[in-house]
Amino acid sequence: MTSIEQEQIFEAWLNQYKALIFKIVRAYAFTVADQDDLFQEIALQIWRSVPSFQRASSVMTWVYRVAINTAIKWVKKERKHQGAKEISPALCLQPENTRKVDERLDWLYQEIHKLDKIDRSLSLLLLDGLSYKEMSDIMGITESNVGVKISRIKKQLIAKSLKYTSYGI
Amino acid sequence: MEFEEIQEIWDLQKKQSMYTVNERELHNLILTKKKQAGKLVNLTELMQIIVNTGAGAFIFQKNYFSLKGNFFLYLLAAWMLATAIYILVGRLRRIKRGKRFDESTRGSLEHAIADATHKVRISQLMRWNIITIALLIVLGMVEGGQSIWIIAGMVIFLGLAFYGSGFEHRCYVSRKRELLSLYAKLEQGQPASI
Repeated sequence: MTSIEQEQIFEAWLNQYKALIFKIVRAYAFTVADQDDLFQEIALQIWRSVPSFQRASSVMTWVYRVAINTAIKWVKKERKHQGAKEISPALCLQPENTRKVDERLDWLYQEIHKLDKIDRSLSLLLLDGLSYKEMSDIMGITESNVGVKISRIKKQLIAKSLKYTSYGI
Repeated sequence: MEFEEIQEIWDLQKKQSMYTVNERELHNLILTKKKQAGKLVNLTELMQIIVNTGAGAFIFQKNYFSLKGNFFLYLLAAWMLATAIYILVGRLRRIKRGKRFDESTRGSLEHAIADATHKVRISQLMRWNIITIALLIVLGMVEGGQSIWIIAGMVIFLGLAFYGSGFEHRCYVSRKRELLSLYAKLEQGQPASI
């Protein structure tokens, strides 16, 4: 594969799946600088992964795998280097100023953020409507294991939502 | 709230984009990383191979051309060259093994754990290797008739190197422990029959 082909495929993937990447970025990083840092890392890993994509899975599954694995690694690395990070002057990712703030969505992201790294990934896949089979392919665990975890995550989110609604927010 | 309602909240994002991508900055970043790719990879292993080969070869030739050959220094040179070969073989095996893992989260974690295990083993072996090298250096110095003070200085230096290498080893052990804990979380809830 030539580097031009690699770049063309990368751009097409990025355009098609950027919404998916944004959700992962927002679920794993809080501040704008961190979100930008994680987005850069995910974009880089996706670009690097283009030549090794062998069509054994769908492009969406592939992009999810790369993005989730990168986010999990990024969180580990980030904890080690907290405070020592440089803030890049030009951001690759800029929050939309016109975005309407929905408190319920912010709450949902906060709750997802409280889950451990693995459950966080699964909750994103669950909310994006992926099948157990697809989740199993992305995470590399059996469908029955996915089922057990998803059932626990659903219960957790429902329990948290009850608290949230009871505060009348 | 039922799960369907939570799902509806999540789906609100479909109606609007959260961010815009600065494509020019992203393109520049990729170009920069492309240039850097591979430069820092495996630096530790390469350094160990180069240092051991270089030092082993230097000691051998120095000893070979000296008037009175020192048996322990020959042994030390051979030991260092053997160490370099051992690290090289381990490195080739590690690279070969890396191709075996799939791209799933589990595969990626297994890969990271295999790499961490390799680093833990190498750092442990290199730590104990300091003792062997120290012993051969001291015996070589004794045979060469060095003063007791120089020998004592060398022993203290090598002792500090041994102590310092313990920190490096503990870092790798702690990193491996973190990865194993993450892996255990991934495996949690796995039915016993699978």
